Amino acid sequence: MECHERTMTNTLTFQSKPSEHEAEKASNSYVMSLVALMAGLPLPIINLIATLAFYIANKKGTYFVRWHCTQALFSQLSLLFINSFGFWWTISIFITQKDTINNNYISYILVVILFNLIEFIATIYSAIQTRKGIHVRWWFYGDIADLICKP
Amino acid sequence: MEIVNSSRVDNYLMVNGKFFESHQIPAIRNQLLKLDDSKWSTLQILQFKDPTLMLIISLVGGSLGIDRFMIGDTGLGIAKLITCGGLGIWTIVDLFLIMGATRERNAEKLFQVL
Repeated sequence: MECHERTMTNTLTFQSKPSEHEAEKASNSYVMSLVALMAGLPLPIINLIATLAFYIANKKGTYFVRWHCTQALFSQLSLLFINSFGFWWTISIFITQKDTINNNYISYILVVILFNLIEFIATIYSAIQTRKGIHVRWWFYGDIADLICKP
Repeated sequence: MEIVNSSRVDNYLMVNGKFFESHQIPAIRNQLLKLDDSKWSTLQILQFKDPTLMLIISLVGGSLGIDRFMIGDTGLGIAKLITCGGLGIWTIVDLFLIMGATRERNAEKLFQVL
């Protein structure tokens, strides 16, 4: 049996179709990162800790599960940096009042919102497709997952 | 004899298949087919934990680590209890992990007998 691998631009074939429970676990890694993101708001690190815990728990899992846990982990890692900076910038404006809301701040927050929105949509899309057993590969993060996760 | 054994294994997996990971089923089936008759009685009395029940327990008592205690991870259960469910993070993670963990513990239990 063959499983389709869908990248952001094209569809490739993946070697074997994952079983029902494998697909469920891989999909759970994305769903869990979303739930942790919402539960941990406005703190930007809760989702990363949760995804890391999920990754460690599935370290002995099958290749399909491990690969998707790695992809979810690295997508959340990039969110940490961009969100942390925005979070502490906001805190410094409201607490210390040394900074003021200027154009730089507004433009940065707009970028943060846009980045989070793209990430949010991509995560939902991945969770849905992975649950069906389709191997979703993100741009850039997919390559990192390939390098780290070996069959 | 071969056919009788095969149908017995199929019946066993039909009843107990939900307690194991689906990718482990072929390996379990192979092991059961080779199983000695004397071990079947031990196998029949083996009790497995229901993954769905564990999910409900995790929802209700996850922050106290009750789910981990029940599947036999006493050390993790104590750690979860002391940290109040890992400050809530571990509780969320375990909601998604507990069903798989239960199935794996069930398989480990089965393989001990086989």
